[in-house]
Amino acid sequence: MAVLTASEPEATRSAATPWRNRAVDALIALLLPAALLLLWWTASDRGWLAEQILPHPIYVYQTLRDMIASGDLFYHIGVSLQRVLIGFCIGAGFGLVLGIAMGLSERVEDYVKPLFLAFAQIPTLGWIPLLMLLVGIGETLKIIVITKGALVPMTLNTFAGIRNVSPRYLEVARALRFSRWQTLRLVILPASIPFVFTGIRYGLTHAWTSLVGVELLASSEGLGYLLVWGRQMFWLDTVIIAMLAIGLIGFIMDGGLNRTERLIQRWKRNDI
Amino acid sequence: MAQTTSRAVRIRRGMTLPLLLLVLWEVSNRTGLVDPRFLPSLESVALTAKRELLGNDLIFDLLSSLARNLGGFLVGAVLGIAFATVLAMSPLAGRLVMPTFNGFKQISLLAWIPLISVWFGFGEQAKIVFVALACFIPVVLNTYDGMREAPKDLLEVGQALQFNARQRFLRIYLPSATPAIATGIHLGLIYSWLATVGAEYFLAVGPGIGGLVIAGRERFDMAMVMVGVVILGLVGFSLNRLAAVLESHLLRWRPPRTA
Amino acid sequence: MTFSTILRTAAGAAFGFALSLQRTLAADPLVIHVGYEAIGVDNRPFAEGTSAATARAGEFLEKEFANDPNIKIEWTFFKGAGPAVNEGFANDQLDFAYQGDLPSLIGRATGLKTKYLLASGARKPSYLAVAKDFGIKKIEDLKGRKVALQRGTNSHLSAIKILEAHGLKERDVQVVNLDSAATVAALTSKDIDAAFGDTQLINLAAKGSADIIYTTKGDDPRFGRNAGIIAREAFIEKNPEITQRVVDAFVKAAQWSSDEANRAAQFELWGKSGTPIPILEEYFSKDTLAYRNSPLIDDLLVSQYKEQAIKSKEFGLIRRDVDLNRWFEPKYLNRALERLKLKSFWQPYGADGKPTAS
Repeated sequence: MAVLTASEPEATRSAATPWRNRAVDALIALLLPAALLLLWWTASDRGWLAEQILPHPIYVYQTLRDMIASGDLFYHIGVSLQRVLIGFCIGAGFGLVLGIAMGLSERVEDYVKPLFLAFAQIPTLGWIPLLMLLVGIGETLKIIVITKGALVPMTLNTFAGIRNVSPRYLEVARALRFSRWQTLRLVILPASIPFVFTGIRYGLTHAWTSLVGVELLASSEGLGYLLVWGRQMFWLDTVIIAMLAIGLIGFIMDGGLNRTERLIQRWKRNDI
Repeated sequence: MAQTTSRAVRIRRGMTLPLLLLVLWEVSNRTGLVDPRFLPSLESVALTAKRELLGNDLIFDLLSSLARNLGGFLVGAVLGIAFATVLAMSPLAGRLVMPTFNGFKQISLLAWIPLISVWFGFGEQAKIVFVALACFIPVVLNTYDGMREAPKDLLEVGQALQFNARQRFLRIYLPSATPAIATGIHLGLIYSWLATVGAEYFLAVGPGIGGLVIAGRERFDMAMVMVGVVILGLVGFSLNRLAAVLESHLLRWRPPRTA
Repeated sequence: MTFSTILRTAAGAAFGFALSLQRTLAADPLVIHVGYEAIGVDNRPFAEGTSAATARAGEFLEKEFANDPNIKIEWTFFKGAGPAVNEGFANDQLDFAYQGDLPSLIGRATGLKTKYLLASGARKPSYLAVAKDFGIKKIEDLKGRKVALQRGTNSHLSAIKILEAHGLKERDVQVVNLDSAATVAALTSKDIDAAFGDTQLINLAAKGSADIIYTTKGDDPRFGRNAGIIAREAFIEKNPEITQRVVDAFVKAAQWSSDEANRAAQFELWGKSGTPIPILEEYFSKDTLAYRNSPLIDDLLVSQYKEQAIKSKEFGLIRRDVDLNRWFEPKYLNRALERLKLKSFWQPYGADGKPTAS
């Protein structure tokens, strides 16, 4: 399950860097995209790059403008976001409960975990055809698939969080004669929050990826559908816009959660 | 936390739910409680597995998928390590490229399907490129981070000894980044399997387990889909185990990472 | 060196790494890559209903080059239909292809360098099937319903025209994008309310899993679908003689396909695609084979394509004007007709749909 628990490496540059250094960094970071854009532009202008391989950036921009003006783009984004939100909330909720249950009780863990891991082994994409037979290709399918995407990392991380509560805390709780409930509420849950948060982050990422998969396979709206639609109509500009939208939303979600996660970790450190 | 329950008890507990599910499955099937189209009997799943194995080319499908997976994985891993090494060893290159790379990685893998399909067409190469891309991303991220964390004092020693780039790579960066690279490769192996399935779903028709699952759905053959899904899971599991074994083998000379 | 060649070189290198199952390294003879924008039942590499399908199953091309050991024919069938054929053309992976009107127009509008060489399957009817017991009796009832079609195919364009004639726009129905096989699955399980298509729907109706409530057959011929053999310009320029022989072979196939004496034999041949013979009989009922399998680029065909181009733009399927005048390249067809003494074998039709005297 390394895929779900091994934390992806993050930028290690400390937050204390003076703003001037950061500005320089940002400038350097922007160089490559600018160069790529220039290259793309020139290549399209000069005809080095066939249109059916990559359309002219101006053309992409025009399509983007049209799609924003007509409301199409935001409609599809809205549909996708709604699906992810619903699926993620269900998946994360179940995952939290399941993770806590398995974390607190060895008995529950023994009973449930092997089956759970077996189910988790099968890639989300693998589940889609099976689910299509069971529930059809409607909205239910999408929600279930996204739920599954969020459920697995949420469960495993919550579980790990509870199991990783330092025994010293538990000793303190015992010394203070906390009740089971108090121990849970005052010691175990707060201590496992960073893990839960990692679960939320991965859960959301997985939910987002699953969404694209299920929308590619069967849907009549949403960003994944926009990709298929662009592909079939040979509108690469639409494809590129859909890709950018998917990337941008992924970036915002990941970045936002990342920042919150760091805040929580700092708060936790200060607390101790 | 100390283990208080014995191994045997744990195994018994672990088997309980799956066995219960199987019994429930068989009973509901025998009693006609569920539509066999949605839940075929265990027997018919086994028969389908046998039919696909002996009559059709299940083995060939599996081998095709594995070859695709392995091919893409190797390409992605090798290119990924090389790419990350260049970026990590030249600080400017890293600052120049990594932010863009971090942006790119946010684009869900499957969203690349249309462009890859247009750029590489319907042959095997499109699929391999897709799998390679899936593997490339985690390998680059982990390798890069591992190398960036090469101990400063070692680098200073290297400077004092006037190491050239090759020596710095072989004696400092590579050894200190090995655990991270192993993690990256582990992730790469898992992602490349996901991508293999994705490629078989969304790119041109060809032999493969993913194609088998899709065909099963189109024929409304739940048994066939189940056979395919179980194989997908088993292969994923095996690859995961394989990666874990490799990882520990590669890192056997190191003290355990977590005390 | 263009970007695409760079990409392809990179991919080629990647390919070399991989343990390729499909190709063994051998001295490369000239391989003529022929694409077909459909795939048989259960992904069989065969198709039905067109002279191109006859050429495939009857090995007309292979026979034409039987005495040239250095020339090989390689067929590829596309589940992704016409849009996937465009991807093949964009990569120079295809030299010839059987492709429907809308996708070839889309390809043309996007700048693919192709030529239209001869007609094949140019007068295919479309069918509309609905899920049983959903109370859809006529086309107008489709409003707000889930309707399956494969976007970007000639069936898509045909569907829009049919909807339009009945006062509906594409946006009035909920379009679900599904390929042919997925459509069958979805209609059987009633995941969708209706679907546009052809033989796969007739087959479903014959099995009692759906009802066909409309066909373009016998209705305005302009609702139907066109198709033809498209070729890559660069290939033609480089190999004009081979192109001529390929066209010869396709014309021979069209001739055989048009001969009523071969009706039964032909359905048998097309049966390789997995479509049952009675379904094919139904699909061709009331039509002469010569009408359906004519290779002629006559005024009717040209005007149809021009209209398709205008309609496609109007419906927002194509966003630029397509210049069709230099696209049609009847030179090879005419030479083949002359060589094979078939100049008056097929009846040409005028733009008004009436036979022309020529």
